Amino acid sequence: MNAVAPAARRRAWQDPALLAPLTILLAALFLAPLLLMVPMSFREYDPGTGVVAGSWTLENYSRLLTDEFYREVALRTLGLGLAVTACSLLLGYPLAYVIARGNPRWRVTLVLLVVFPMMLNLVVRSFGWIALLSNHGLINNLLVGLGLIDTPLKLMFNLTGLIIGLTHIYLPFMVLMLVSSIQGVPRDVEAAASTLGSSRFHVFRAVTLPLTAPGILTGSILVFVLTVSALVTPRMLGGPTYKVMATLIYDEYMQLLDWPSGSALAFALTVVVLAFIWASSRLAKRWGGMA
Amino acid sequence: MAKLTLERLHKRYGELSVVDDVSLSIADGEFLSLLGPSGCGKTTILRMVAGLVDPSGGTIRIGDQDVTQLPPNKREIGLVFQSYALFPHLSVAENVAFGLRRRGVSGNELKERVTSALALVRLSAYGERKPRELSGGQQQRVAIARAVAPRPRVLLFDEPLSNLDAQLRDEMQIELKRLQSQLHLTSVFVTHDQQEALSLSDRVCVLAGGRIQQIATPEDLYHRPANAFIASFIGKPNRLVGDVAERRGVGGVLAVGGFRLPSAQVDAPVGTEVDVIVRQEAVQVHRHPVTDGIPATISLRSFSGAHVQYVVTVAPGVELLAQAPSTGDAASLAPATQVWLDIDPAAVFALPKRETQKRETHA
Repeated sequence: MNAVAPAARRRAWQDPALLAPLTILLAALFLAPLLLMVPMSFREYDPGTGVVAGSWTLENYSRLLTDEFYREVALRTLGLGLAVTACSLLLGYPLAYVIARGNPRWRVTLVLLVVFPMMLNLVVRSFGWIALLSNHGLINNLLVGLGLIDTPLKLMFNLTGLIIGLTHIYLPFMVLMLVSSIQGVPRDVEAAASTLGSSRFHVFRAVTLPLTAPGILTGSILVFVLTVSALVTPRMLGGPTYKVMATLIYDEYMQLLDWPSGSALAFALTVVVLAFIWASSRLAKRWGGMA
Repeated sequence: MAKLTLERLHKRYGELSVVDDVSLSIADGEFLSLLGPSGCGKTTILRMVAGLVDPSGGTIRIGDQDVTQLPPNKREIGLVFQSYALFPHLSVAENVAFGLRRRGVSGNELKERVTSALALVRLSAYGERKPRELSGGQQQRVAIARAVAPRPRVLLFDEPLSNLDAQLRDEMQIELKRLQSQLHLTSVFVTHDQQEALSLSDRVCVLAGGRIQQIATPEDLYHRPANAFIASFIGKPNRLVGDVAERRGVGGVLAVGGFRLPSAQVDAPVGTEVDVIVRQEAVQVHRHPVTDGIPATISLRSFSGAHVQYVVTVAPGVELLAQAPSTGDAASLAPATQVWLDIDPAAVFALPKRETQKRETHA
């Protein structure tokens, strides 16, 4: 109708057009193969002959609830995800606070220190933890040598080891998310709370913490998702027997060649992760007042 | 409410002195503005009163209590920020309730005081909204209700109107005046806008370079500025250069670009070169000759509502900003028209040349 129209029209198709290359790439190379695995997860598997063509069964999924071994691995994975998320949050928040609010001169250095471990190969870092945590590792030798304990603490091939290793590896993600989130809290809003009678602790609890809820949420989702899908570290610190979902899926695929079971486990994990993300965003929105 | 006393207040950042020996007493229920250009230390003073900045020296007293060492949450003050600083995660009513809850108010009393504070700023219907759903002016009114609700001993304003557009700013000024007449709050209002300071305050404290230049009522400040800096800071000044031709009491006659200009305040001896400040609003343009009128020609005309502004040339290279009512016979004069200027001597100030420059670089 007028001069505005062409510009508006251009804007209308511009956004989808910008997203198109990535969308096509993801659809062809990720989504399509993924959807091909859906029917696979309902197939029967015969250890002698392989995937039974044309068969339909829910057993690959129901096994997660009925089979004690599968159930334990599933619960362990969720517990591990929650524990690592909680540890990263508890360790990461004070650190992020210092980086965000401390002397700006130190900020770059501190962020680099936080990111530095990510520049090392994952296998190398996990080996480092083996050297520290094993029965005759640095920590146990030190504690025994000092006479604080008689027998070595069991720090590997169990939940403790995985929590320590994975928290170390995913802490940087949490810290980086929290730093930008804490930097985004207006200082005037905190000052307003203190002039209204809030002690420093109350300012933190009633203002800073809720206002950083979005950062806590994204950091937590990131760490949780990375933890429950981590393969290398659980494999190395958990050994061949202490399994989580990711290592279990890997074994089903690569060692047992039981693709139907592997796909079912993978999809089940995805559903649980999505449910977790949904629930935690609702929680954070209500808490941070963004609902 | 209580009176507020600042005694020999200092703030230094390393070598830089931001607030330099400021002593000031604000009476119970008085509204005082701290006025000055940016960097004059006015916000720092306010933040020291609030407890958000530690003074390098001096004492702050609210009532009879020395609060210099108290943290902000123990001072029982209210602070209204330029950025509004509302709690974005809380509703409007919860924002207002925040300070009340901190003082232990609860139950029905809490509800009543939140309701009356919101009624005071005419936002009763907005209690359940979130701050981001409100306009800038409404948000600032919530901030005022939040600061006022706990009945602070002193209310502080940190350029609260600067983020609002011009029309809203005028409305909010009237709103603040109305609040002030209802509540009689001891208030300190920081601003760089002279018009705000003049229209709101009982007294205005003009600051430059961290030092107090003058504390006076708005009328005294405007008509009897204490020094060069203030004369050039208040009103809309024309800046000229001239010589002192004659002294008569505190006033005299100045020679500027070939014409003689009577002045009510001359701070220099006869014969010296001076900076001449002529308030724009005191230069009236007339179509026909007037007694002691200075002849001039129109260079530019611009319409600004109630008035028409002219740039007039009184002598080669000497231009003045002048004005005429936008409805009179001098309302639509074309460039090059011959006119006569009537300049009120009370709005002409002459100051030793160096002083103005020094003060300005200092500010």
